[in-house]
Amino acid sequence: MSKKYCIFISALFCAFLTVFLAAGAITPDRAFSPLENRTLEQLPSPTVKTVLNGSFMSSFEAYVTDQFPGRDIWVDMKARTEKAMGKQENNGVYFCKGDALIARFDAPDSTQLTANLNYVNQFAAKADIPVYFSLIPSAADVWADRLPAGAPNASQTAVLQQAAALPDVRWYDTRAALTAHSGEDIYYRTDHHWTSLGAYYGYTALMGALGKTPVSLSQYTKTTRSADFYGTLFSSSGVRWIAPDAIDTYVPEDGITVTSFTYDSKGTPVEEPRALYDTSYLSVKDKYSMFLGGNQSLGVVRTPHTDKPKLLIIRDSYADSLVPFLTPHFSEIHLLDLRYSKLSISGYIQEQGIDQALVLYSVPNFVSDRNLVWIAR
Amino acid sequence: MVFSSVYFLFLYLPAVLLIYYITPLSWRNGVLLLFNLLFYGWGEPRYILIMFASIAIDYTHGILVTRCKRRGNDRGARLAVASSVFFNLALLFFFKYWDFLARSLSAAGVHIMPVLNIRLPIGISFYTFQTMSYTIDVYRGDARCQRNIITFGTFVTLFPQLIAGPIIKYKDLDRQLEKRTHSPERFAAGVQIFVVGLAKKVLLANNLGMLWDAYKAMPAGQLTTAGAWLGIWAFSLQLYFDFSGYSDMATGLGRMLGFEFSPNFRYPYTARSITQFWRQWHISLGSWFREYLYIPLGGSRVGRGRLFLNLLVVWAATGIWHGASWNFLLWGLYFAALLIAEKFFLLTWLERLPRPLQHLYTLFFVLVSWAIFAVEDFSHMGVYLAALFGAAKGGLADGTVWYYLRSYLPMLAVGCTAALPLGAQAWNRLKQTPRLVLLPVLLLAGLVLSTAYLVDATYNPFLYFRF
Repeated sequence: MSKKYCIFISALFCAFLTVFLAAGAITPDRAFSPLENRTLEQLPSPTVKTVLNGSFMSSFEAYVTDQFPGRDIWVDMKARTEKAMGKQENNGVYFCKGDALIARFDAPDSTQLTANLNYVNQFAAKADIPVYFSLIPSAADVWADRLPAGAPNASQTAVLQQAAALPDVRWYDTRAALTAHSGEDIYYRTDHHWTSLGAYYGYTALMGALGKTPVSLSQYTKTTRSADFYGTLFSSSGVRWIAPDAIDTYVPEDGITVTSFTYDSKGTPVEEPRALYDTSYLSVKDKYSMFLGGNQSLGVVRTPHTDKPKLLIIRDSYADSLVPFLTPHFSEIHLLDLRYSKLSISGYIQEQGIDQALVLYSVPNFVSDRNLVWIAR
Repeated sequence: MVFSSVYFLFLYLPAVLLIYYITPLSWRNGVLLLFNLLFYGWGEPRYILIMFASIAIDYTHGILVTRCKRRGNDRGARLAVASSVFFNLALLFFFKYWDFLARSLSAAGVHIMPVLNIRLPIGISFYTFQTMSYTIDVYRGDARCQRNIITFGTFVTLFPQLIAGPIIKYKDLDRQLEKRTHSPERFAAGVQIFVVGLAKKVLLANNLGMLWDAYKAMPAGQLTTAGAWLGIWAFSLQLYFDFSGYSDMATGLGRMLGFEFSPNFRYPYTARSITQFWRQWHISLGSWFREYLYIPLGGSRVGRGRLFLNLLVVWAATGIWHGASWNFLLWGLYFAALLIAEKFFLLTWLERLPRPLQHLYTLFFVLVSWAIFAVEDFSHMGVYLAALFGAAKGGLADGTVWYYLRSYLPMLAVGCTAALPLGAQAWNRLKQTPRLVLLPVLLLAGLVLSTAYLVDATYNPFLYFRF
């Protein structure tokens, strides 16, 4: 190899290193990554203390990687390489039949699971009102036939069986209602949630338990709110080559008000009006938050049917798309998220004159949740 | 800091290269010393003090040994060597083995050593060995005493090989520290070796490591025999590419800065005996133990009983050097048993076997050794070894094995090919022109893909929904 060629190779290498250094320096730093749904690290300034304890270095590392030029393109390239190398999953998400992405379900921590189930049972045993309980299996269970052959996937039915055996709750089976329709679009292909259609089948199961007749789906008209929804599995898998999901709604929102109760930075209670469908979320990445405006510690949905009972749901985000179907049957639906709300539930039930309570979580959230301890307080 | 990280590649390395090359020759060691300290102190700034201590101890001991020798005071010189060895081993013992010993003792009911929860300073096993060899070599007359503390400090802290070897002896670097040649040819060669190493670590080792992680963490009830072999196969490749990739990166970086390190791995999985395997695997460690422990103990020119003991001591030390845990000691003794057997009779038997059987023998015992190496918990190690030998609770094979085999087959195939000299041979057989065209293409592909994997590793979606 000639001297000139060696200079070329050396220069090529150095150029590769410096191009990104320069590009990183020129491009403005991003504050937020919609794909990762988190704020990105900003340039830290060193102080004697942070340098000595090393925290400056770790924030600086995070800054360099968070602000690396073309970050999302690199992630895409890695996912494509993995697929080309025969991999059938990336970052814990399986590439499945029918263009679906399904999050792997790992064997749950049995201590945490048993504790969580006990909390729910204690709550039901103490409550003066009937407590209904169900767990929603994720797509990894209901759509197990779409997973790559032999893909490791822990059993969710084992969790459901253990939950069904609780003595003091009124357990009902959501899984059977979903599996009966597993050929339909009951889960998003790019998100871990159930679709409005899936939520409808979940609703029929609940109605069965309550002894009520569900409204037939044919009485509603389907409205497609968005045809380009890329959900959380799209984000975490790095997979960028599949078609977006559609978000549909069925139930009209006429006469329904939603109020979210929260606290401002000083700790004073604040009431914030929300809507059954907050269409402003359709223009951002996090489109699922269209249902009830996303996370809230306590939300109250009021319907025009003032003669109907009041329902309290202790829940995760799957309930957000279920609530519209419940509106014909209740005067008020109170939604409590134990991650944010630590209020005394029994006190709240008395205060608000709640008639029935429902504990509803998806299986993956339920088995790993660390806030259920608050339900029993 | 580690080489396979975004900030090393795109910030630290360009800065080092730029400043190093615009600095006049006589100042380069000083610049390098500063960058070395930055490199080392990045992860744990307080531990720079260990570096200073290491430099100071061995620098003064080197001078002490030389002074005593000049005065004909051999006893004094020996004492100085002993003192240097003592300090180095004390550093290593305190930071690496104190907690291990304290925990083992208290597990046995003896509470004389408190557990201090010391964070292991990275690379301490490597650099204490390097500096120890310096004083010994000065005493033996194999190395000159270094009177310039900056030059000596540059040797002790030299960042390319500071934290994962190869273990370089001072005598091999002495002249290069004083005067080394920088040329485009050497730099370009360094680039090639570095990129190969980077790709080995980021594309092969990390990827195959995920397959091993799946099997390492698998509960006993689900482990199958086929799965256990698949897992240990993946680990054998992961470890090789991780370690040899790191050595390649060190060698490449060294060349870019004008240093020449001797090779640390020579296709070890092509060995036809365990003896040969250890001549091709982590060569710098093997040769260190040979030169500073095995031969001083009398080497192989001793009676059978003594030879047996020597091998046992050397391999117990080699084992425990790999990590402060009992499984590493067991792993060392496992090799001691094999090497003793080979030395006493097995090697002559082996040579009569057909070549493929010799390879099979070596790979079998090496793969089994990795199960001892990689599974620190003894009860799980038992489960894993039993699974390898057919007593798996999950049976012979299951759907999961096929899933993983299908997912990783291309990767395993690439890995096996890359662990053999095939690639290098094919490359050498290529004509000049295709080589000149291919080289920049391959280099860029290696860099681009490695960057994609490194950036992805920091991709960390906050899954609000996790709800």
